Amino acid sequence: MNVDISGVTRRFGRHLAVAGVDLETGPGVFGLLGPNGAGKTTLLRMMATVITPSAGTLRLLGRDPGSYGPRRELRRRLGYLPQNFGYYPGFTVAEFVEYFALLKEMPPARIPAAVAAAVERVDLGGKARAKLRTLSGGMLRRTGIAQAIVHEPELLLLDEPTAGLDPEQRVAFRALLRGLGERATVVVSTHLVEDVGAACTEVALMDAGKIVFHGTPAELAARGQGARAAGDAPLERGYGAVLAEARS
Amino acid sequence: MTPAVISLRAGRPPTARRMASLAAAGRLLRLELKRNAMPYVLPLLAAVFFFDTVRTAGGFPPVWTVRASAIGDHMLFEFSAFAGGIAAWAGSRERRRKALDLVASTPRAAWARLSVTLAGTLGWLLLAFLAGVAAIYIPTALQATWGGPPLWPVLAGAAGVIAVTMIGFTCGVAVPGRFTAPLVAIGVLVLYQAGFREALGLTASSASSGTYALLSPAGAVPSVDAGVYHHVAPDVPAVQVMFMGGIAVALLGVLGLAAALRQPASAGGLRSLRALLARGDDRLLRAVAAVLVAAGVAASWTAYSLAGTARLTATGWQIPALHDAAGDRPVPFVPDCTSGPGGFQVCVHPAFSGYLSEVTAALDPVAAEIAGLPGAPVRAEQVASAGTWPGGYGPSHTAGNPPVFQYSGEQVGDLFGAFWGIPAGDWPDWRAGFQQGLLDSFLAEPPHPAAAVRTGPAPLGAAQQAVEDGLMIAAGSQPPLRIGQRGQSGGPSRAQITAAASRFASLPASARHAWLAAHLAALRAGTITAAQIP
Repeated sequence: MNVDISGVTRRFGRHLAVAGVDLETGPGVFGLLGPNGAGKTTLLRMMATVITPSAGTLRLLGRDPGSYGPRRELRRRLGYLPQNFGYYPGFTVAEFVEYFALLKEMPPARIPAAVAAAVERVDLGGKARAKLRTLSGGMLRRTGIAQAIVHEPELLLLDEPTAGLDPEQRVAFRALLRGLGERATVVVSTHLVEDVGAACTEVALMDAGKIVFHGTPAELAARGQGARAAGDAPLERGYGAVLAEARS
Repeated sequence: MTPAVISLRAGRPPTARRMASLAAAGRLLRLELKRNAMPYVLPLLAAVFFFDTVRTAGGFPPVWTVRASAIGDHMLFEFSAFAGGIAAWAGSRERRRKALDLVASTPRAAWARLSVTLAGTLGWLLLAFLAGVAAIYIPTALQATWGGPPLWPVLAGAAGVIAVTMIGFTCGVAVPGRFTAPLVAIGVLVLYQAGFREALGLTASSASSGTYALLSPAGAVPSVDAGVYHHVAPDVPAVQVMFMGGIAVALLGVLGLAAALRQPASAGGLRSLRALLARGDDRLLRAVAAVLVAAGVAASWTAYSLAGTARLTATGWQIPALHDAAGDRPVPFVPDCTSGPGGFQVCVHPAFSGYLSEVTAALDPVAAEIAGLPGAPVRAEQVASAGTWPGGYGPSHTAGNPPVFQYSGEQVGDLFGAFWGIPAGDWPDWRAGFQQGLLDSFLAEPPHPAAAVRTGPAPLGAAQQAVEDGLMIAAGSQPPLRIGQRGQSGGPSRAQITAAASRFASLPASARHAWLAAHLAALRAGTITAAQIP
């Protein structure tokens, strides 16, 4: 299992953001659904080794991120796009991606080709020399995705990656996700269920810090059949039905 | 493992790993240099630097030590404000731009990451600083007639820039925000303007602890012949470098400790921090950071203690523990001499060769007026200032047998006129004042030779003043207005002295000379009145 999470809890003061989550997943695209404040971002930040859990254990790519050496090794194999994507406006797209390739300790000789490939994959080849301050929100998001995939990570964590993307870009991004999921474990946090349906092989639904559903998108859609949950699509109805059941 | 994710460690020999690591650091540094904010403020810094430092230094005589003093007094002031602000801006970047989560998920340690950002900023600042030094030193090299560029002021200045950069960067990391940079810049300006020296102890009320002020590179302009007759001892700049280098090293360590501890603390509070400390993660990194803090504090404290032992000598400040007595020997030189149309020989130190013709043109006419009279100087020579800054210097005087008029660079500059870049022709007082210096020591009753070095000739009486003014008028000069009669109260009015001077000047040169030969002793003794002057 590339992701092996057991009883992970995270508190911020008195607030319990993640409450005893257990999760296992291997290669493929894993969707993490849930309403705002469900704890998705906190779980992803723990998986990205940005913050440590208050309790429980994480093993990512077979390593314990709580120890210094394994954490460094893990970070070399990790791609992360945070929900609040901070960028340096004076950098160009290519420089920004190169900067993160260097921070991820890629062999320098491979970086130019890897940067060009990553920028092309997010369809920003024509903007490679544009300063980030001149880009639209969608282009910035794609730059964030490019820096996350530049080193072809084994574990890719994307927090709301499609926010700000237009429909055409979202379709292209889902195709990219499917391609990445063939070799790596991709965890996508989102509240757009259509993204999950189109790209994910597995999905978990979080609410109030807990995982209330774990299965395939088809299984989630099936949970909505016959239920009175609101929604225009089967996945939305399944999402609503699971949440309603969890809260009842 | 996917092909591109081969780490720098895996399967590579140590040398190749080191080379790859260096190459990566080099590329990061290139990006930081390329996207640093410094180029945007360079034009403003250059303008401020030109209007303050370059113009000030250009007004100094082309003596290396004097021109170099502008580095500590002016240049560092301007550079510090910019360095502090720019460094704070760079240091606050990750958190100001909300990129902390993104960079924290990468394997490169925060300290290493911040160090590269710091190096990029420091690289620009030091480059600009060295360009500024060149802007002072290149014109000096073209104008100076003796000596070479002193390196210690440059080292002390660079250490100052580095220390302020470290302070600014640490402030930026610790308190990130858009107002951090301007606040740090203003803070540095206030610190410099309102009293770095005072903060270090140089106040009127704490004169005993004043030597701690030597830790500041900012100071008064040295005497114009500093470093000319004696080497400037490197004691003080060495202590300054140690003090500011210590601050920089300690703050680099603080940065390492803060980077290792801040992130878990901010993300998870004390509990996370305790967990991290208990696990011993990054222990080596923290140990190195702690050693740097300790070493930096020790260096600064040592420098502070050494500054407290400084003492002022005739050749400048010395710190006994660092002082090399071999450097106290006078610097050998061959004076530059020439004679005017009147045959009066004038010598200057080769560092002042550029002023030889002006000094000769000023002294020769009045020297000709008194040539051959008892006590009249046979030549003039430049000597070292009686005391190097801040001990002061004595007035010019005539000494020896045969008598020689001795003056220092300070007299040429401060007392008698415009040494400081203003041509003598633009300031007639300069010429007249210099002539007056020679005549003062000739006409006044010679004081005790030892006292003359410090106090100069006794004040002139009314008749002596009238004769002096008359000789100067005859030599084509106007007696300086600021110098009037300095005789006893109740004596002749200024108008009477001026009238006597005019009478005396209108005499034929031979008649003036003959009268002086006959009445010099009485004139010096003060037994002749202004009315008795022909």
